[in-house]
Amino acid sequence: MNDKQIQRFVSRYVDATGSRIVEKSPAHMTVKLSPAADRELTNRPYYWSYVDRAGVEPETMTYLFVTDSKRYDEQQLRQAEAEASAELGALDQAAHDALSRSIGFVHGAINGVRTPREDLYFGSRKLDQLFEAARVGGSYVYLFQEPERRSLNPFDSIAYTAWLGVNLRVEFACDMKREEIHSYGISLATGNIQENFHERLSSLRLTPKLPANVHTARNGFTLARALATVEAHLEKKLRGADFSWAEGAARRLEEELAILAHYYEKMLESAEDEHKDAIAAQYETKRQEIRWQYEPRVTVSAINCGVFHLEGID
Amino acid sequence: MTRTVKEGGAGRLHPLVDLRMDRAWFEELQSRIDRNGPWDDWTLYQLAMEAEHSRRIESFEELQCVRFLNGLEPMKHQTDTAVRVLHDMGGRAILADEVGLGKTIEAGLILKEYMVRGLVRKALILVPASLVLQWVRELNTKFGITAIAQKRAHTWNYDVVVASIDTAKRDPHRELLLGTDYDMLIIDEAHKLKNKKTTNYQFITQLRKKYCLLLTATPVQNDLEELYNLITLLKPGQLGGHGEFASNFVVGKRTPKNEGQLQEALSSVMIRNRRGEGDVKFTKRIVRNIPLQLSTEEMNLYEAVTTFVRERYEESGGNLTSMLSMVTLQREVCSSRDSVFLTLVNLFKKTAEDSPVRGKIWELIEVIKQIKSNTKAEKAMELVRESDGKVIIFTEYRATQEYLLQYFRGSDITAVPYRGGMGRGKKDWMMDLFRGRAQVMIATEAGGEGINLQFCSRIINFDLPWNPMRVEQRIGRVHRLGQTEDVQIYNLCTLGTIEEHIVNLLHEKINMFESVIGELDHILERFEQEETMEQRLARVLLEARDEKDLTQGIEHLGHSIRKYAEQPAETENTAMPEEAEAPAPRRGSRAARRHAINRLLDGASTIVEVDSP
Repeated sequence: MNDKQIQRFVSRYVDATGSRIVEKSPAHMTVKLSPAADRELTNRPYYWSYVDRAGVEPETMTYLFVTDSKRYDEQQLRQAEAEASAELGALDQAAHDALSRSIGFVHGAINGVRTPREDLYFGSRKLDQLFEAARVGGSYVYLFQEPERRSLNPFDSIAYTAWLGVNLRVEFACDMKREEIHSYGISLATGNIQENFHERLSSLRLTPKLPANVHTARNGFTLARALATVEAHLEKKLRGADFSWAEGAARRLEEELAILAHYYEKMLESAEDEHKDAIAAQYETKRQEIRWQYEPRVTVSAINCGVFHLEGID
Repeated sequence: MTRTVKEGGAGRLHPLVDLRMDRAWFEELQSRIDRNGPWDDWTLYQLAMEAEHSRRIESFEELQCVRFLNGLEPMKHQTDTAVRVLHDMGGRAILADEVGLGKTIEAGLILKEYMVRGLVRKALILVPASLVLQWVRELNTKFGITAIAQKRAHTWNYDVVVASIDTAKRDPHRELLLGTDYDMLIIDEAHKLKNKKTTNYQFITQLRKKYCLLLTATPVQNDLEELYNLITLLKPGQLGGHGEFASNFVVGKRTPKNEGQLQEALSSVMIRNRRGEGDVKFTKRIVRNIPLQLSTEEMNLYEAVTTFVRERYEESGGNLTSMLSMVTLQREVCSSRDSVFLTLVNLFKKTAEDSPVRGKIWELIEVIKQIKSNTKAEKAMELVRESDGKVIIFTEYRATQEYLLQYFRGSDITAVPYRGGMGRGKKDWMMDLFRGRAQVMIATEAGGEGINLQFCSRIINFDLPWNPMRVEQRIGRVHRLGQTEDVQIYNLCTLGTIEEHIVNLLHEKINMFESVIGELDHILERFEQEETMEQRLARVLLEARDEKDLTQGIEHLGHSIRKYAEQPAETENTAMPEEAEAPAPRRGSRAARRHAINRLLDGASTIVEVDSP
């Protein structure tokens, strides 16, 4: 994610949580958090439990999110210089310099409310926290497509189909790892399955409210059957994948186990009886470690999912 | 009827590969449908997906962590090392770079890579106590890894914990740690684990870990056994059973055989980067000796002390060891009256009540009282005032340190102390102050790992240690990778004293201040086989009858060190230049052993070119 994408991400998060942008430039945004966002982002569980129990009006925090720190710092410096030269005569300047030499830079707004600065870059902790907040707040949805056009006849009803939509993360792991993301939609009316379902959803206008003049087709498919369809479909697809990575990992695993066996079996042969149990136990631990390290495996888990009611019957 | 799916599905995807399907999401979805909500926000749903896409690990090979780092640009040999550990070594390796090439950065890259890939969540980092906070700080600031310094029992619950091995192995921590599965274990200064019999070694063997990094600049010092033990900790059996290792690779316990094979075996578990000869692009060292004329009062004291010391030496009948502390007195006069005073007071207390020496000490104290100012301190102040930048002042003596702190404080210059006895928290704090608003740091300790002062480029040697390695350590704190300025080194040198000779010896004779880093210790090791440099100097000093004698003695010392320096290491075991006084290291001697071991390690190293950024 580059700084522009991060800005867009944050703006959308701000909108979605009812937070407010106080100030904004291409390099930064100052955000007054909504209570919901504050709970997610500020790490203040004690404060919030106090608010909840005492029932007082919460005071939410304001963050300065800097998305381009170099540019932002330059902006600040220029601004500070401009202000300084405007305000201070030559004599004052000298006094001010002396002061900042002895007690360091004094920010004019030091007595105001603290606005913590967070540099947001890909990999930064605050951005990770925003990602996590999006995940927590965006896991399960139940949505309706807004009708494309409003029918002139109030008694006309548009037919909708319910879809199970799920975004799946597939992890191919041994001592290394690769990931794929698969997005599926299964029509609960027909069992019809669509790939790249999330892309389709992203192009639509969706709302949590049931639109007027809409009727849903009868579900011929249970959710459980839909799940089985998705899993079968994905499994079939995965079977056709390249498994050379797993073969390599399995080979390394065998090699490592052989090295261990050689070492410990020799040791067990020559060990005195009283030590044998301890050595055998250690050997087993080491074998488990090696398996843990190398054993090839594929894991499928959901990123998020939902039920989507979309126009048309298919 | 709906078929309910409670457990996650599992099956074989390929003869070698299990497939695990997590269905927790499905149960949750079903239950929300049953309860008619609550439902999440559509925008956040999309954002979650977007975040997931941006974090997706697209390939097994490509190093991912670099795009997660802000402001840290690892050097090529560091990323190369990370890639090798990840791909060729399965995440278990000894990182054995020479000092200053960034083992910590390499370990950080590897840890971050595994974390980004979701292969490591729980990591334990065991380091010497003095390095705990530095590791925490580096992981946090350079790698954005939330690492916690172990303080209380519950700290162990955090994902990434840095602790000292001595704490970790003790009860009640021990049991807790042995009961945990660590995705990654990192051990810094791992050469301390060379002995199989120690509790530390056995503790590490028992810890359960998936990936493991051992960091050390000296994977083997005296004995090949050390190397074997280190590798056994990492991968038991990699060099065969113990007997096999001994018979395949070791001659007479000390000298490797089948070197080529051993090196090959080593390179599968160890990465060692070395600086190339001559492509080290450090900034320059600019050395200035500042000759100072002591005031009449100070000179009186110096002469009185010299006479006192010589008398004691003659009384002792030439016993050198008991005289080392006496020599210290002479050196202290060149530093500050405060330090002489303190030593004299202690001496007074130790002397028998009826000894005539007590009277003599008392006389010396009278001489001290005459001294009103410190010539060196005035000069040091002048040097500090000349520059706006940071200055670090090194002294050998606590009393001098205290005096200087007061002296600078009296002149409105912010100075902070740094010494060996401080706790690690305080040391860190002092470093932070020096990095921030203090212009001057006054340090009595340069050794110890972990003082990195690249932001400062001026050193004042208020007085000099007699051990050249310690001089190099001082300079090394500032003149290291990451230093962007030429380093100014000022040696304050009082004329007509022993100090003048020392500065002369270190600077003119052995060219210590500009010498190539890394070679000095080899030279000294050969030179100091029988007696340390300090002992030799003290002997010369005490035995000299007059100034001429002293000059000659020191001249002679410098000459023999230079011999060692000029004699290339490779010719160690062959013929020596005829005029060299030092005997060639005998086979089996410490130096010869060291040489064989170095050759082995060098053969398993990669030479890297490093520019000072």
